[in-house]
Amino acid sequence: MKYLRFLMIIVSLCMISCEGELDILPQQSIAEGPATATADNIEAILIGAYDTAGGDANGLLDDGNYDGDLANIAVLFGNTDQVDWNGTFANLRDVYFKQMVNNNTGATTAYGNFYLMFGATNTVIANLDKFTDQTRRDRVEGEAKFLRGLGYFDMVRLFGQQYNAGGGNTQLGVPIVLDLPDATRLIPRNTVEEVYTQVIADLTDAYNKLPDSNGIRADKYVARAVLARVYLQQGNFAAARDAADDVIQNSGHSLMPNFNAVFDSDDNTSETLFSWVITTQEGQNWHVVHFATEALGGRDGDISIADAYLDKFDSDLDERKNYNYFSDTGLRLTSKYTRQFSNTEQIRLAEMHLIRAESNFREGTSVGLDPLVEINTLRARSSAPALGSLTLDLILNERELELGFEGFVLYDYKRTQRNIGGLPYNDNKLVFPIPQSARDRNSLLDQNPGY
Amino acid sequence: MEVKKILILLLFCISITSVLAQEKTISGTVTDDSGSLPGVSIIIKGTTTGTETDFDGNYSIKVNIGDVLVFSFVGMTTKEKTVGIPNVIDVVLIADNVLDEVVVVGYGTQSKRLLTDNVAKIDASQIGGISTPSLQGALIAKAPGVQITQINGKLEGGVKVIIRGLSSVSASQEPLYVIDGIEMNNRNISSIGANLNPMLSLNPNDIASIDILKDASATAIYGAKGTNGVILITTKRGKQGKSQISIDFSTSYGEPTNKRDWLNASQYEELLRESAFNSGFFADQAESDAWVDGRLPRYQGDDDWRDLDTDWQEEAFQDSYVQDVNVSISGGNEKTTSFISGSYNDSEGIVRGNSLKRYSMRANIDHKVNKRFMLGLNSSYSSTIIDRIAGDNAFVTPLQAIAQIPTSAPYLSNGEPNPGTLYANFLLQDRHSFRKTAIRRILAKVFGDLEILPSLSFRSELGYDYLSQTVDRNTGRLAPFQSTNGQTFASDDGTEIISTNNYFTYNNSFSESSNLNIILGMSYTRLKNRTTSVTGDGFPTDDFRSISSAATISAGTGTFTNWAQVGYFARATYDYKNKYILKASIRSDASSRFGKDFRNGYFPAASVGWILSEEIFLQDADILSNLKLRASWGTNGNTPTDNFGSLGLYGGGGYNGVSGISFTQGENKDLKWEETTQTNVGIDFGFLNNRISGEIDYYIKKTDDLIFRDRVAFEAGIPGTIDHTVLKNIGNLENKGFEFVVNTVNIQTDNLTWKTSFNIATNDNKITNLPNGADLITGRNILREGEPINAFYMVEYAGVNSQTGDAEYFLNTENPDGTLNRGRTNDFSQAQRVILGNPNPDVIGGLSSTLNYKTIDFSFTFQGQWGASLFNNAGTFQETGFGNGLDNQDVYIYNNRWQNPGDITDVPQARLFNNNGHSNSSRYLQEADFIRLRNVTIGYSLPENVLEKMRMSKVRVYVSGLNLLTFTDYRGYDPESSSDDANTNTNVGNTFYSAPPAKVYTLGVNLTF
Repeated sequence: MKYLRFLMIIVSLCMISCEGELDILPQQSIAEGPATATADNIEAILIGAYDTAGGDANGLLDDGNYDGDLANIAVLFGNTDQVDWNGTFANLRDVYFKQMVNNNTGATTAYGNFYLMFGATNTVIANLDKFTDQTRRDRVEGEAKFLRGLGYFDMVRLFGQQYNAGGGNTQLGVPIVLDLPDATRLIPRNTVEEVYTQVIADLTDAYNKLPDSNGIRADKYVARAVLARVYLQQGNFAAARDAADDVIQNSGHSLMPNFNAVFDSDDNTSETLFSWVITTQEGQNWHVVHFATEALGGRDGDISIADAYLDKFDSDLDERKNYNYFSDTGLRLTSKYTRQFSNTEQIRLAEMHLIRAESNFREGTSVGLDPLVEINTLRARSSAPALGSLTLDLILNERELELGFEGFVLYDYKRTQRNIGGLPYNDNKLVFPIPQSARDRNSLLDQNPGY
Repeated sequence: MEVKKILILLLFCISITSVLAQEKTISGTVTDDSGSLPGVSIIIKGTTTGTETDFDGNYSIKVNIGDVLVFSFVGMTTKEKTVGIPNVIDVVLIADNVLDEVVVVGYGTQSKRLLTDNVAKIDASQIGGISTPSLQGALIAKAPGVQITQINGKLEGGVKVIIRGLSSVSASQEPLYVIDGIEMNNRNISSIGANLNPMLSLNPNDIASIDILKDASATAIYGAKGTNGVILITTKRGKQGKSQISIDFSTSYGEPTNKRDWLNASQYEELLRESAFNSGFFADQAESDAWVDGRLPRYQGDDDWRDLDTDWQEEAFQDSYVQDVNVSISGGNEKTTSFISGSYNDSEGIVRGNSLKRYSMRANIDHKVNKRFMLGLNSSYSSTIIDRIAGDNAFVTPLQAIAQIPTSAPYLSNGEPNPGTLYANFLLQDRHSFRKTAIRRILAKVFGDLEILPSLSFRSELGYDYLSQTVDRNTGRLAPFQSTNGQTFASDDGTEIISTNNYFTYNNSFSESSNLNIILGMSYTRLKNRTTSVTGDGFPTDDFRSISSAATISAGTGTFTNWAQVGYFARATYDYKNKYILKASIRSDASSRFGKDFRNGYFPAASVGWILSEEIFLQDADILSNLKLRASWGTNGNTPTDNFGSLGLYGGGGYNGVSGISFTQGENKDLKWEETTQTNVGIDFGFLNNRISGEIDYYIKKTDDLIFRDRVAFEAGIPGTIDHTVLKNIGNLENKGFEFVVNTVNIQTDNLTWKTSFNIATNDNKITNLPNGADLITGRNILREGEPINAFYMVEYAGVNSQTGDAEYFLNTENPDGTLNRGRTNDFSQAQRVILGNPNPDVIGGLSSTLNYKTIDFSFTFQGQWGASLFNNAGTFQETGFGNGLDNQDVYIYNNRWQNPGDITDVPQARLFNNNGHSNSSRYLQEADFIRLRNVTIGYSLPENVLEKMRMSKVRVYVSGLNLLTFTDYRGYDPESSSDDANTNTNVGNTFYSAPPAKVYTLGVNLTF
């Protein structure tokens, strides 16, 4: 019978619920609860948002959007006579020929990545209450809203038709998501007007909350610079002018002394307002991949300069006309993208000068600087001779000379209603298709006409 | 005088009679085939007088001449011996027929006669002597419905075991392995893509029996892990009685089961010239010949290509030698019995550079502390050191050497391998690099059994399984693809599993004719894994190999993972009058891998049996000795393989050197096990005193809640390992089939026994429901509702246009009336894909036969599979007529190529660098039906009288062969060998430079003292 007592002890030990043992947590990841529990973690998620945008995060070594892909797409898609495509990537080839099909892999990846970035920014914004320090909280909120505003702007001008300056804009844009990630979400597309409204609201809020400078991350003037771009795209020249003026006057940035100096560094220069950071350990510079020779880390010139581009220059003294080199196979390649570990998609001060000049010209004002003086100052730093007088065409051309291959032609031609590659600016094939894969998963998404 | 003669005669007769009528004492020893038998009952026939053998198997008994002694023992055939002049009668008893066998089921045993489940039992005698490095190889063709495939000819290669068809797509497809009641870790732990079979660490000679649980009633007791079947391994234990020492040596020679015919130098040159001429790139023959003459010297090394004729296949294969030694000691007394063994195996594989050494030791001890309490210990340690070679997909894997050009030299004149070959020369890798994988395993178990009441006992078991794998890989500067001055990779992967089972067993007989057995208990298992690795680059010379000598540490990883599972179970078995049997069980399982909302799974099962032959109306039927009807039903689970698949997770990362975290996995609180419901009906039959016996079974397995990655809207902001998905249980599949076993005792006399066993099983596998009903295509496999899992899906090759020599494909586009357009086209992109075959067989079978004549034993096993196909992923390089590169071609291409209009053949015209038929179509899909002589053994044992003089109980010499003959129409290396690199759960049935299995000749000796 003494065995029975002994037995009872054993039995009860065994029958003790081991349920608690089953709550096992992973070691290389943390669960959602702990991830959003502290201010430090929320800021880490914000860093993760930059990482997602740059394509190195989410457990995927995927292509991001801001590692050069968006600008490259705009260069190819918006091409009329600026570049030639020599590469083998089928999805980029279709973009170049404006013959995309609705399962284009580039469009699909881009679409998905934007929403992963929004997932991160929305998570940050929803958890701001974790911050006790108001300054830090404002900065984090500003950065998240900056990323979100920038993202929706880039999305809507790729997947939706150009914003009609007169207003209305009931054409379909993209679905706006401002909430936390949710596997059950099924929502239709918002209109282009709605998206622009959201973009401006986010960037304005970011401008109000961000500090004047923030290292390599977004600051007040970066937000304003993007706002300038947005207003320009909308045809709201007065607002564009004032925003560009604010950035030029107050951001503390200045033009580099010559054109080469703008691109001849792995880090940001004094002209750089913002860029996405690539290092030897993280990230991949897709500008270099598609624009440079193999020796420099590229694919030997997938995108080369067309002869017609050089005809746009009025002077051989212009440093920008000669800012290129030849590959072994005789392709003329831009010297802007020759450093494998340089940063991508930079927002630079030269663009602000061009926006201010164009807006002043259109509005007949001289806020900050007379437009002709402004254009000539910009030209002077590239040793280009001064222009005698300005026309709108000269200003638009100057944008192509200064910002060539940086992804501006597509949007400039659309907002000025010029033909792109023989197609009218509002052609169905000049917007991206809503990816078939996205529509398979969400039947509320209407497809763009023509796809 | 006559009176005297008569008197003397009478006296003589009387004395004889008295002698005859005298009692005398007879003594002797009773043994079975492994040693002395204590406790054998010896009775004088017709009386109640008798005795028993002592624990040395000796007996003595007073008898009269002419008495008949009856020797009987449980499980043995009773023997009778008449008392004559000799005073010593030794008897050898033979194990009885199958019906009185004991079968291991979960947490207990059951007699085969009363079993209502479907369990296949294989014992040590059927496993021993088969020279394969891993346990599973010894089980091939021995159990119906159990398909075992050794993936390819590498020693450490994975083994795929499928019981009654595949029951999962994304979760585990492997059965559960349990050793002596403790769950075994069977994760593929390979550090490279190619599989590594963890069962290598188990010495097959330690195994007493294997019981394979196939139907739900047997497997349900294992709950959420039982869906794919359960393999119970029982190791040998000591027996009371005289200690027995066994020594087994064997030495083997192996070679590939099949070599293919590749072009020799003159055939290669001829075909290359012809294909260059046909290519359309050159104006005339002079130009195309000049191109060939200019190209071939590139690969010749230091010789002239015209003088070379290299057989690269011979470089890749090597003669394989295996030495194997096994020593075991078993014995004990009434209180303690023990089984101790040690073994050493040294195997060279058939592929160059592949070898394995294994040491193992085991000690199994049982100790009766007192009448009620027993303690036991099982412990084993093994160390397996493997020289591995690259996975099938790597350029430097030896088998890819068959692609090299015969007019290129393998070595330069200085003895170094030729670096200028068409593809990377694996000989450089072989000479300048190594990959040593060491697997050390400790398997231990401590248990106690307490008898509380005569009918109630309690058993507690604690098990420990520690599997450690260390990999040291070094690539020297001269190895292919090595750009830094050498690179070393070192990793350490340690997995520890602790488990405990605690259960009560209640065993009672009510009246004489009914018995009840109940078990009730719990089981807990926990796994912890820690893996680290370091990579270093840049060494001063190739003599420096360890990480500390590296100039740069270029990469490092470190991860931890764990899981745990708790289960409670109960089972009751009731039999009445030895003919009506009822069994029911239930198990509940909770696992850390299940989503929060589905923590507990319940798995019930029940089975019934009716032994018809015990019924009075059948009992006298002489012909029918056994007829049992049985039926079972139950549910099982298949736990998700991802330890944290149900959680929403954030992972670490960084931006510009600052750490950040990002969302990596969406949550699914509902994630649960895949559930299989299986129904099985069967008949056990036996005729003529079980001279003919067997089973017929029919089963249906329906699996619900298959785990798939369900696509989520992009706007949801959810990432997923593949493409914005969340793991969900949404899918169904079904398996049905027949199993048929027949065992016959063809001849049984004192000197000669001949037994045969035949088994055949069918499996019909079908997916019944997919998420959104949509096809899921991975490479050339498709998951489609109504079709088998991973059916082959590709363009259908139609043959060659006899006028043009163009390869043609069937359009297979859909006509308006729904039929398929069987027109032909030479444009691959015009042709539609269709379902063309199944990577898994429909029918598998085995035939074994054993013959014993006096002291000679002879046995063989045939294995057959029908209905599977295999796709040669390398066909697009090997069978193209140089359309896709300068790879060496199969002689089949040379012998059958189209050359002139009017030729009828299935090999298109050879056209250099033109795609004429080398797209991935069914041209490279072949049926892989085969029959294989899996093993054959002849043994000779020394007769008893000689053994007695030598004081040994067994000396047996044997010769055996493994995979000696293969009958198949399959043209590739082997109908079973497939890629160890490329195949996943959804991309299957591919072979890619995969080595065939080995044909092995073994000479061995078994000694028992």
